[in-house]
Amino acid sequence: MEIKNLSKRYNGIPALTNISLSVKAGEIHGIVGANGSGKSTLLNILSGSPLIRETGGYHGEISFAGNRVNLKNCAEAIRMGIGMVHQEFALLPDLTIAENIKLSREHTHKFTDRLFGPKYSFIDRKRNDESAARILQKLRLHLDVDVKIINLSTNTRQFVEIARVIDRTDLKLLLLDEPTAVLSRDDGLNLIAVFREMAQNGLGILFISHRLEEMQQICDRVTVFRDGAIVSSYEQGEISIKNLARDMIGHTVHKATAPKREIKARPAISFQQFSVKMPGEEINGLDLTVFEGEILGLTSLSGHGKLALGYGVMGMYPTGGEVIYENKKIDRMDAKANILNGIYVLPDDRQALGILPEHSLADNIIFTGNQIKNLFSINFGRPFSGFIDRKKANAHVHQLVRNFEIKCASLKQKSKELSGGNQQKVCIARALTLNPKLLIVAEPTRGIDISAKEKILQMLLDINRTNHTTIVIASSELDELKRVCDRIAVMVDGKIFKILLPDASETEFGLALAGEEGTKNEEF
Amino acid sequence: MKNFSIKPPQVIILIFLIVLIGLAYVLQMDLIVLFNESLIKLVMNGVLVLSLIPMLNAGAGMNFGLPVGITGGLVGLCIAVNFRLTGFSGFFMSLLLSVPICGMLGWLYGLILNRVKGREEIAGTFIGFSVIPLMNYFWTLAPFQNRQMLYPIGGQGLRPKISLEPYFYNVLDQFCLIKIGGIEIPLGLLAFYGLICLFLYLFFRSKVGRAIIATGENEAFSKLSGIDIAGIRLIAVILSTILAGIGICVYSQSYGFIQLYDEPLSMYFPAISAVLIGGSTGRRTYIFEAVLGAYLLQTIYLLTVPIANQILIPEVTEILRTLITYSIILYALLYRDKRGIVH
Repeated sequence: MEIKNLSKRYNGIPALTNISLSVKAGEIHGIVGANGSGKSTLLNILSGSPLIRETGGYHGEISFAGNRVNLKNCAEAIRMGIGMVHQEFALLPDLTIAENIKLSREHTHKFTDRLFGPKYSFIDRKRNDESAARILQKLRLHLDVDVKIINLSTNTRQFVEIARVIDRTDLKLLLLDEPTAVLSRDDGLNLIAVFREMAQNGLGILFISHRLEEMQQICDRVTVFRDGAIVSSYEQGEISIKNLARDMIGHTVHKATAPKREIKARPAISFQQFSVKMPGEEINGLDLTVFEGEILGLTSLSGHGKLALGYGVMGMYPTGGEVIYENKKIDRMDAKANILNGIYVLPDDRQALGILPEHSLADNIIFTGNQIKNLFSINFGRPFSGFIDRKKANAHVHQLVRNFEIKCASLKQKSKELSGGNQQKVCIARALTLNPKLLIVAEPTRGIDISAKEKILQMLLDINRTNHTTIVIASSELDELKRVCDRIAVMVDGKIFKILLPDASETEFGLALAGEEGTKNEEF
Repeated sequence: MKNFSIKPPQVIILIFLIVLIGLAYVLQMDLIVLFNESLIKLVMNGVLVLSLIPMLNAGAGMNFGLPVGITGGLVGLCIAVNFRLTGFSGFFMSLLLSVPICGMLGWLYGLILNRVKGREEIAGTFIGFSVIPLMNYFWTLAPFQNRQMLYPIGGQGLRPKISLEPYFYNVLDQFCLIKIGGIEIPLGLLAFYGLICLFLYLFFRSKVGRAIIATGENEAFSKLSGIDIAGIRLIAVILSTILAGIGICVYSQSYGFIQLYDEPLSMYFPAISAVLIGGSTGRRTYIFEAVLGAYLLQTIYLLTVPIANQILIPEVTEILRTLITYSIILYALLYRDKRGIVH
């Protein structure tokens, strides 16, 4: 695959300018860039997305396997052997894993093939299931292929999505748009090993990711995009995270780090035999004490329950066991009562649970505070209470937007128009408005570009240091947790397996995540 | 925050309207009289259209269970007529009576809708259908005394059509009627309509109103923010039902008759049609959209009838009326789904 002088404009705004790059068979070519640098546009062109044609097509030359091609639609791209794994999932939630993987490529019964023609013949379920299981095994995933997609966690869905594409036998070029963004670290590494293997069998891979370490490990070549143009390109061996990050942002990133400290305080919240029935992320008999004023990291492999803690406390899923908050037992996991008592939870699924997409940024920030704590409302006395004091609210929002560097056209911009990083900042701003005593955040940096990530971690640190907010961060980004947390709890099978200090070694974390007892020296 | 753009349904309706006005002019109809009529028609149906808004904003979809609220309002009207109240006292008494009755009905209706979350539209349709036969029993068996309401023979059971002429016919239409040349502006009627709009506008700026909108937009978010989803939805359904009750009172005083029995079933399609024409996509709906939709649809009804009578055979009017209503709902539903995918 060769690309020469490729350019693309959306409504006159250039998205790509003079891109030239090539992917050889058996090579993994990485592309990095901040959000909006044109990576996804490139993949859209290569996969023949109709969006490109609708907005006026592209300029430049693309040749595939030596022949010049003009990609008009997805079907053509697929026929040539280009497969794409999308950032968003394109799975049918009500079908099983096997059915999803084999969709439109099902094995059929030979007899009915002849009887009704291949289109109407009966599907051989057994062979389908077997072949789907084989593909999953290739991805080192042991799953019951009869489970419906709707019951899977985000991580597993990503794997199924990938399995769907690599199941194709005619695949020559694989386009990956941040396949590891929603995966936990270890799953990501796992997947990368699979991609390496596939590349060795002669497949060309174009790989887009935010995670620079992955790039360093996996890619034969890396090209850095900035504002729709190529900034630099490295061969394997010369790839360094520092250089990539510098080229991507245009300046070096200041990493948020917290100095080490000892926390000896009263417990803020303690869980005893706490369990949450969240499908795919169950917590089962968790015992954990969080101290006042600390930042506790919570990590686990996907599906081992780190994400369910916040949802459980807010009563989104059925819970069991005991929770003692400020020396009082919480009887019922009621979101309103808990928010009033100073607990707030930011969910990992920002789009679905974290924002009101059609509301303005300002409304998003003040919503919960206004609804639950009556902040910013003009009080005319009942029944006329609850109108918003816009002046007061706007002053507050304005300050937060400035402090957090939320990039927006105005305070009235709809939050769905903001980028992922800015949406997350809005979420944290909303939490800060409530001024909680305990904040539980899940995957705060998922799917966010590198400079925004550091800003968000710094925000969390600042909230902790200045407001003395106790923070629990559930995340799979171990590196980030190690930088900001006072203690890191590792969960296995919905229980706390071990609590480690942030300066514990990688191997210790690795062992703990896998549920292995290592050398016992950091018992807490 | 508001972003009104003209979309295909409005374009089609506007073109249709212009063609009709052109035809009416060519056929030498009295355009001023038609304009006067259009204002009355707007309010007459407009309150029913407004009544859809709380449920739309709460994410409970279009209120296909509108007959629930309508029958509640009819009960209020019948009681007022039973006591032979005339003029404003009759009209306001019927409003006063419909509000608590509709509140009760709305509460029950809301409880049911909370159990069928996500399928409110179809559930509402059937709740509407089942309310009708229940109320039919009520109309025939309820001990009303006013002879003018009862069947002339036998003296038991309410008539299907009760004339309001001796009671409060046009009481609002005629209130503060301003005449400028041939143009008549029913100021009282418009003011009443404006008050309801204002109430809704303020309601959606209040805390509960904002919680309703947020719940309609992202229920999981609201739940995580500590909002009582079931309670909020219940409030929205009750408000929708009460407004529907007020709507039918306004409608009846303009129309001059209380229509009982199966009649409520023919009321909700035009209302839903109107709100869709106004630009609602079955989700958050602005008051402006409801007003615009009600005016466009009712004006088209108003124009088609005399025009069709003049250039076609008279019976065609009813057919055309039904055709317009239904095809607009169908069109809007198709259109809404397309938007959903793009979004």
